[in-house]
Amino acid sequence: MTVPLERIRNFSIIAHIDHGKSTLADRILDVTEAISKREQKEQLLDRMELEQERGITIKAQGVQLSFTAEDGLDYQLNLIDTPGHVDFSYEVSRSLSACEGALLVVDATQGVEAQTLANVYLALENDLEIIPVFNKIDLPGADVERVVREVEEVIGLEVGETPLACSGKTGEGVKEVLEELVKRVPAPKTEPDAPLRALLFDSWYDSYRGAMGMIRVVDGEIKKGQKIRMLATKAEYEVTELGVYDPHPKSVKSLLPGQVGFFAASIKSVQDTKVGDTITDRHNPAEVALPGFQEVKPMVFCGVFPTDGDQYKDLRDALEKLQLNDAALFFEPESSDALGFGYRCGFLGLLHMEIVQERLEREYNLDLITTAPSVVYKVNLTDGTQMDVENPSRLPDTSLVASIEEPYFTVSIHVPSQYVGQVIKLCQDRRGEQKGISYSSTDRVMITYSLPLAEVLFDFFDKLKSSTRGYASMDYELEGYRQNKLVKLDMLINGDRVDALSSIVHKENSFYIGRELAKKLKEIVPRQMYEVAIQAAIGNKIIARETVRAMRKDVTAKCYGGDISRKRKLLQKQKEGKKRMKSVGKVDIPQAAFHAILKVDG
Amino acid sequence: MLETSVYIHFPWCARKCPYCDFATTAKAPAEVDHEAYADAVLRELERRREHLSGRRLYSVFFGGGTPSMWAPKSMGRVLEAIRAAFDAEHPELEVSAEANPASIDDDWLLGIRDQGVQRVSIGVQSLGDAQLKHLGRLHDRKLALAAVGRAANIMPRASADLIFGLPHQSAEALLRDAAALLDLGLRHLSAYALTIEPGTQFGELHRLGRLQPEPDESYIEHYQALEGFLRSRGFSHYEVSNYALPGEESRHNLHYWRGQDYLGLGAAAVGALASQPGQGERYKNALDAGQYMAGAGPAEWEPLGGTELVQEALMLGLRTQEGVSISRTESRAGQALSRGREAALEERAKSGDILIEGDRISVPHDRWLLMDSIVGALF
Repeated sequence: MTVPLERIRNFSIIAHIDHGKSTLADRILDVTEAISKREQKEQLLDRMELEQERGITIKAQGVQLSFTAEDGLDYQLNLIDTPGHVDFSYEVSRSLSACEGALLVVDATQGVEAQTLANVYLALENDLEIIPVFNKIDLPGADVERVVREVEEVIGLEVGETPLACSGKTGEGVKEVLEELVKRVPAPKTEPDAPLRALLFDSWYDSYRGAMGMIRVVDGEIKKGQKIRMLATKAEYEVTELGVYDPHPKSVKSLLPGQVGFFAASIKSVQDTKVGDTITDRHNPAEVALPGFQEVKPMVFCGVFPTDGDQYKDLRDALEKLQLNDAALFFEPESSDALGFGYRCGFLGLLHMEIVQERLEREYNLDLITTAPSVVYKVNLTDGTQMDVENPSRLPDTSLVASIEEPYFTVSIHVPSQYVGQVIKLCQDRRGEQKGISYSSTDRVMITYSLPLAEVLFDFFDKLKSSTRGYASMDYELEGYRQNKLVKLDMLINGDRVDALSSIVHKENSFYIGRELAKKLKEIVPRQMYEVAIQAAIGNKIIARETVRAMRKDVTAKCYGGDISRKRKLLQKQKEGKKRMKSVGKVDIPQAAFHAILKVDG
Repeated sequence: MLETSVYIHFPWCARKCPYCDFATTAKAPAEVDHEAYADAVLRELERRREHLSGRRLYSVFFGGGTPSMWAPKSMGRVLEAIRAAFDAEHPELEVSAEANPASIDDDWLLGIRDQGVQRVSIGVQSLGDAQLKHLGRLHDRKLALAAVGRAANIMPRASADLIFGLPHQSAEALLRDAAALLDLGLRHLSAYALTIEPGTQFGELHRLGRLQPEPDESYIEHYQALEGFLRSRGFSHYEVSNYALPGEESRHNLHYWRGQDYLGLGAAAVGALASQPGQGERYKNALDAGQYMAGAGPAEWEPLGGTELVQEALMLGLRTQEGVSISRTESRAGQALSRGREAALEERAKSGDILIEGDRISVPHDRWLLMDSIVGALF
């Protein structure tokens, strides 16, 4: 079925996490009868097992739907799903730029949250028509009137006389939402006779077809067999496959302006299908790329080491496999005196880091020790050069360092007004600088701070949640680098510097953090046969010392015929437990020690 | 021929002690059906008889519970049947029985001696009345001294158990107790650090925060004081918790610590037999005496492969002064003792935690207090 350009509608659904985006998407598929009842697995659009478990959409996808509106005409709706977490905001922005409109889903029992706003801003930057939709009206706590007011006051969106209220759970109101969408979202625009330009807004790895991509054609036509060129990577390929999801993959011969679909071109890995890249024709290339392309840069780094040195190769294989499908994952070999051979890995954010770690352990059966996350510092050397340091233990000797810069985030926190004090205290404690505070309604406040990313990594989100009883929501974006008085804090165990325990901290807090960290480590390091000294040092100066006293007695009193099995099993179990520890010198250190710094109250 | 020991469990006590995690239930002595229990044990022996061919009886031990509640005649019947079930026996067959100070008298001692038991081990635990009360024992100092005196006179060999690390117990009092026992003629003494075991009354009190173990320092002080004293009286510290004059060691217990085979008979008894190198099994009989007597089979069973046999040989053998025999362990386990632990052995030998001399591996005496950590490192 060919639908003319003016009857194509490309749209996204944007929402705060848990506001019901995926459920609503499923109901839309339902209303357009894209899938049979039998197939209606909850949240069909979330593909990966981990996504379903965490309820987070990580990969964007595009589904082509057909909808017969009240005007009697058939429309082609392309629903472009977006990742739902701030770690992936670049991917979100590219997905949005493939659309002309967005449904802004707001939970009618909750109201506007930090991520709602962040997504709205992204949508506005991409000139999208935003249609507010009030979801979960089937729940008893739903208060559409109040939430409409919030949307109008906080976001400044005109909702109108009859707000679109619906329930993703029951399907109520969903058809009306689509009618409104068809009316208000503009049809795609294109430059007639211009050479091919298509936006690559998502990519993934398929074990048979290599790296594949979701594209939105802006100008021209893309055909199977066509020779194409990627404007950012400059790579050239031949299109081997084109198709659309309806929601099942279906081959097509070509994609026309305004249309959304997938392509394959024997591309080796997703490193070559960069989100935001522009695809053009090799023989008749466009001169100007579509706007908005950025190289994705990892923001958070940590060391990943196998507990068992024999798994080093398995770890590399696993990382390579993950990287095939995750262009944002970065890794390079690293060796640590304490932890042996492993990899320093870079991630978009904490969630991305957790997901990768979990997949390595779960899908690849690896036992890992990970170090505390670190940001990338820009270190200005006395010789006038600058270097990036993403591993605190690699910080050059102080005599060579002129200054250190650290990344700052602009963090927006949305919170009921009674928690404002707690949030401000937390941000101040974390070296934050207040940028703004505004009441979005009588009882909701938006607090904006400049915060060093390093402070955000150190358990900030958990602290925020616990000090606001879970009511706070947060959004952040990179602001830039600032020069600060930063020093390297080293930890010594029995006199040996343990590189994996080094951190970079602000000079003013360094003594306090050193002392607290030594105390925390004392609790974590189990008693051993020898006394263990735990010291904190800045440069050559020891600033704190704790002692784990030697175990003096560890002997079973009775061991006769009836006790043997139980005793043997106990020792076997202890041995298993020790496998999860790393031996530094003679001292067994549990994984928790390497994350102790995260638990020090700044 | 495979040297094999036999352990017979007697499952009743007049009263259950609050620290004891052995399989035992309280029963009034008058209610014990001596012959019926002996019959049940003999029925089990008959069932296990086929596994005894080619084995030589090394030692017999009546434990419990309180075997001193059992009629000597019934014990004699069991002992006789066990000896008959083996093709051969050690020329100096050791036969021991545990006894409780509150339940031994001259008749019982003379009775078991007539039946062939040569050695008794008496659960004295302490000679301090306050400590005995804390431990829930039925005897006091006077009764204990009388019982030990009788046993030392009547039996060819006698030993007593002491417990240390008790509340309000001084090292001096512990040594006075030990001296009083030696003065009665004992040539063997066991001394156990009090262990609070889960599932006991003490364990429950500990869980509720109402009973705290004595600090390690006081255990260590007691342990070292006792060792010094007994050494001065010519006793060797031949196992973590056992002391003896030369030649007076418990051969039955040494057999366990050498990782050798043992047959277990009676309710809750445990046996471990290896039929071929690297192929063994361990069983534990039904815990409940009533069910056992009604013919219930083992409650637990586990195979013992080469790995387990080596681990156990290390865990047990290193507890002793003589240490582990590498060749004996390897012939029983069917694999090299060092397999998979080469680095650990080297490291521990280097640090002085173990000594490797010819066929022997042992833990130097001054490191025995860290025995479990050392053994754990070799697992």
